[in-house]
Amino acid sequence: MHRIAVRINGKAYGHEVEPRLLLVHYIREKARLTGTHVGCDTGNCGACTTLLNGQPVKSCLMLAVQANGAELTTIEGLAGNGLHQIQEAFLDKFAVQCGYCTPGMILSAYALLKANPKPEEGEIREAIEGNLCMCTGYQQIVDAIGHAARTMRMSGSR
Amino acid sequence: MLNLDELFVTRKWVGKPVRRDQDIRFIRGEATYVDDLEMECGHVAFLRSIYAHARIKRIDTSKAAALSGVLAVVTGEDVARETRPIVPRAITRPATQYVMAVEKVRYVGEPLVAVVAEDRYLAEDALELIDVEYEPLRPLVEIEDALREDAPLIFEEAGSNELLHEKLEHGNIEAAYREADLFVKERFRLHRYSSTPLENWAIIAKHEKGDDAFVVWANDQQPGRSTTNVCNMLGIPNSGLRLIVPDSGGGFGIKLAIWPYIVILCLLARRTDRAVKWVQTRREHLLAGTHAPDARVEIELALRRDGRILGLSIKDIQNDGSFIHTAGIYGLIKFATMVGCYDIGATRAELVSVVTNKGPTVQNRGVGKPTMIFVLERMVDIAARRVGLDPAEMRFRNFVQPGQMPYSTPSGEIYESGNYPECLRKALSLSGYEEFRKRKEEMREQGRYLGIGMSASIEPGTSNLGYYYTHRGLPEYMGNAEGAIVGVDYDGNVNVLLGSVDEGQGHATTTAQVVADMLGIDPGRVSMSTHLDSLISPFLGHSGCYSNKFNDVDLGAVIMATKKVRDKMLRIASHALGVEAGELTFRNGEICWAKDERRSIAFKEIATVAYKKILLLPEGMEPGLKEIAYYKNPAAKPPSKANFNVQLTHSNSVHMATVEVDVDTGAVTIVKYVIVHDCGTQINPGIVEGMAIGSTVHGIGAVLYEEFVYDENGQLLSTSFMDYLKPLAVGLPRFEVAHVESPCPTTLLGTKAVGEGGAIGSLAALANAVEDALAPFGVKVTSLPITPEKVVRAVRETGEI
Amino acid sequence: MIPKRFEYFCPTSLQEAISLLGTYGEEAKLLAGGQSLLSLLKLRVADPKYLIDLGRIAELAYIREPGACDAAARTDGPEGEIAIGALTTYAAIKGSRLLQGRCPLLPQTAAVVGDVQVRNRGTLGGSLAHADPAGDMPAAVLALRAELKAVGPSGERWIRAEEFFLGTFATALRPDEILTEIRVPVLKAEKAVYLKAARRPSDFALVGVAVCLKLGRDQACEEVAIGVTGVTEKPYRATGVEGRLRGRRLEPKAIEDAASAITLGVEVSESIHASQGYRSHLARVYASRALQAAR
Repeated sequence: MHRIAVRINGKAYGHEVEPRLLLVHYIREKARLTGTHVGCDTGNCGACTTLLNGQPVKSCLMLAVQANGAELTTIEGLAGNGLHQIQEAFLDKFAVQCGYCTPGMILSAYALLKANPKPEEGEIREAIEGNLCMCTGYQQIVDAIGHAARTMRMSGSR
Repeated sequence: MLNLDELFVTRKWVGKPVRRDQDIRFIRGEATYVDDLEMECGHVAFLRSIYAHARIKRIDTSKAAALSGVLAVVTGEDVARETRPIVPRAITRPATQYVMAVEKVRYVGEPLVAVVAEDRYLAEDALELIDVEYEPLRPLVEIEDALREDAPLIFEEAGSNELLHEKLEHGNIEAAYREADLFVKERFRLHRYSSTPLENWAIIAKHEKGDDAFVVWANDQQPGRSTTNVCNMLGIPNSGLRLIVPDSGGGFGIKLAIWPYIVILCLLARRTDRAVKWVQTRREHLLAGTHAPDARVEIELALRRDGRILGLSIKDIQNDGSFIHTAGIYGLIKFATMVGCYDIGATRAELVSVVTNKGPTVQNRGVGKPTMIFVLERMVDIAARRVGLDPAEMRFRNFVQPGQMPYSTPSGEIYESGNYPECLRKALSLSGYEEFRKRKEEMREQGRYLGIGMSASIEPGTSNLGYYYTHRGLPEYMGNAEGAIVGVDYDGNVNVLLGSVDEGQGHATTTAQVVADMLGIDPGRVSMSTHLDSLISPFLGHSGCYSNKFNDVDLGAVIMATKKVRDKMLRIASHALGVEAGELTFRNGEICWAKDERRSIAFKEIATVAYKKILLLPEGMEPGLKEIAYYKNPAAKPPSKANFNVQLTHSNSVHMATVEVDVDTGAVTIVKYVIVHDCGTQINPGIVEGMAIGSTVHGIGAVLYEEFVYDENGQLLSTSFMDYLKPLAVGLPRFEVAHVESPCPTTLLGTKAVGEGGAIGSLAALANAVEDALAPFGVKVTSLPITPEKVVRAVRETGEI
Repeated sequence: MIPKRFEYFCPTSLQEAISLLGTYGEEAKLLAGGQSLLSLLKLRVADPKYLIDLGRIAELAYIREPGACDAAARTDGPEGEIAIGALTTYAAIKGSRLLQGRCPLLPQTAAVVGDVQVRNRGTLGGSLAHADPAGDMPAAVLALRAELKAVGPSGERWIRAEEFFLGTFATALRPDEILTEIRVPVLKAEKAVYLKAARRPSDFALVGVAVCLKLGRDQACEEVAIGVTGVTEKPYRATGVEGRLRGRRLEPKAIEDAASAITLGVEVSESIHASQGYRSHLARVYASRALQAAR
């Protein structure tokens, strides 16, 4: 067993874990943050996308011990009690159907817009290339991210 | 269809793209899917067959059982002792199958042993300690393998590997053939694919010892049928099972087949005296979840020289794999769309369901209709070329005309409304059809191969259950219906419960829009839990989310229950205000006197009278303000072979795809995609558009990327999303969606199917576009998928994809 | 879909890692970004007894151009090269101004590896040492004629890229060695391109061709190096193509001719996404397109 300490959404967590414990299971079962989902076994679907020190990663392709000392952000930590502008945009543009891919999509979008506040459609599509959505055919998600970029630029937020 | 001006007291919400604020939990990561439920559970893992066809000689579970942390190890034999066999729905030959493998394995991935352990890590460790001895049998992978004379029988008791073989004629097919000037005939091969919801199957089962009853949480798509099946198989009374369906991460039909695993989980819960949880892995989902069957279809059109289609013959052979519950359905459901959008007077159908050692099949998005429309719309293009007509003109000449509605197809399917020519005209104009044909020629001179393809398709909704019975008397289920409870809470807000579940369609918002306009309030005041609880939710055998039934019978039940509540509110208000009910109107959460709006009573006050100050109720009125209603589609007729009447609403769409083919690499790029959709009245265009595009991408995935590939031993080679390729955000075009609105006369709001259309119409549109692009090479598309390799081979060698 | 049990170490220095590797040898597996290894562990295809996580060795993540008087500059190395620490992520390579300016082939290739999340974790060293026969980075380092530094208990040695890949998941690294650095040349007169055929953009290459090309007078090919991935059991240099190009003017016909030699002497692999025949065909098409693009 290994002792790990991480900060998730600004809160400190510490646990003894088996080294083989996957980070996604740590987040879901030890930290009980279930907005991070599992949709495949092989790192292809992106439902488990989490920000690791600000960068999107697939938490099913990481061991919890690898995240020791890291700062993680999950969907639950994106906006406190209100909604982030990306979340608003996802509602406005009907970018959510079953919701299973949504947390990962939103985190990928968040990382994109932080690095690139004015993305082209192609850049948006590339930013969510690692996130599968089985419901929407992506168009409304792409539109939502573009819409969020505009509202964020207008309000000067990042 | 109701008079909407009479039904609605406001017209503010229905028809508008109202935001899905009811579903805000999904945005916040606060949804509760089964695996999110906080519960102490034992965890289940399955050992699955590594052979496609083998006798089970011996299973040694002793080492696994001895592993510390393992709570139970159960084999198929153990399960069979405590359960009844699966009851098939459509097949006509006897076949006995249990929920786990007994004596024999029939596909790679069939569950052999279930392990329950303290956590999923230990459960998977235990699987490695189980020893199975197999005696391999000859695997039957493809249809041809199973139909060979010397083929072993997969179910010996059936006496054949064809579990259903029907020949059915409707209309005067002989006459059609006599009158025809020419015939076009082609054979098509369709592959296996699946719409793969992003959330895999997940179940928690708990056994309440005191009551000897089970509580199950599962992302089940059709709880109405599942509860019946599970109780029957376990031999328990209905009161012995409470099924709860929380949030579900997509369904697309694939979650209709979870119930056999519910049976297993119940047994495991009873045995371990623990809540037990199984969350399917993606590998399990692809290997042993469910697929759409692969198929071989022969189709012939009997034509007049002017392009009119007089008759259609089809021989449809489905590789239904090895799940007898739904085998045969893909064949029989084809009657829903057999003649597509066309006025074809006679049909002849030979439908064959073949059992093989491929994995199970179930009703994947569109169920057989994608296949039917694919072959039909390919044939219309082929026939058009043969008679020298433009494919669009060929379609115009054969369309069922708006004036023919309601139109009965030869087999008795009633198309209740639709304007097919208008949809095609609109699509031609949006896609720039004429200009494109010129541009195509110019591009060809530059060595670039562009093509345009269209398809016109019927998108049926609301299954008339039981359509699949051909021999064994009247089926257990008939027609279609749903139940709803609508109540006004103490605070005057409205609460809805539905017998259905939500797989992501936004039922809560759509329902809120309808109820809001019926009561004159803001949709924010209407809440609806989309979580189903079989103990509480209004419930029928039909309950569930499938065959686009929501906007027909589900909303029908909501409307009928809301009407009952509304009538009661009016009576209470009339009594309270001393005004005739007929003179009252709804206004912003109040009921007031039309002649003097100052005389009014708020919903909250009405609720107070109904629930608390019950002595103020009118004489003889029951307290409470909550009403239940069940609503059935009025057009359904009992099933018969003469009159299939498979589905009860019929949306339609035209898909127009423009593609460019790189003839050196075989890559197909979609450069433009137009969808013209007619689903009658739209309640929420934002949701409708999402489903139109989303379902189209399922079809695009099936045509360009996805395929379950089996080797000759029946091993599935595409068992992860690394090899089973789903469409990504990159590589898809922007979709242009337009609507024609032909309200459906047989649903209350004029709504029709939404949700499967794109998965039906897109296959042929793309195939026709690719064939058009490759016309200079004389390439014919007779199979799916259209992979780059097949394109290159067709261009360079075979001339056929 | 759960890894088997293993013992886990996370050394914080290269020395410590080498000593652990010395102790556990062939029963140990090195973990870099884990974007390939984690899937293999979960599928239980790989089940090492010991897992040595290199992720804490900060000294192995860098991109720098050693100056002439820099101690890191190799006396015997070619003039002008860039050193990349083995644990540098694809994202860092993709975003490196230095590489974009001085060796653009590497960022161009890194940009088409997997997706954003994979590029944030996956590393150049991990990719090369894993030696997936369809990995993108191997093609680029082959075309760049990179040199790879292996450090073991008895010191360091340099391995030329073309001698590094021995087979599927097999490299010239000894069981007790760790790949620590990759040196690529600064591209001056050379143009470089990586083109990849894949079913979807983020998939492994069915065929990937990296070309480094230096044209002389009259558009004649003065020097060329071609790295190929996806085609056979290991990434390789297409020396047959290179030989046919050197000294010739790169007209379409010459390119076509040369490209046809791309699978010369290799056993072309087969998968559900590409048969031998189709893959060979694609290799020719991509070789030809990459050369056209580099011209």
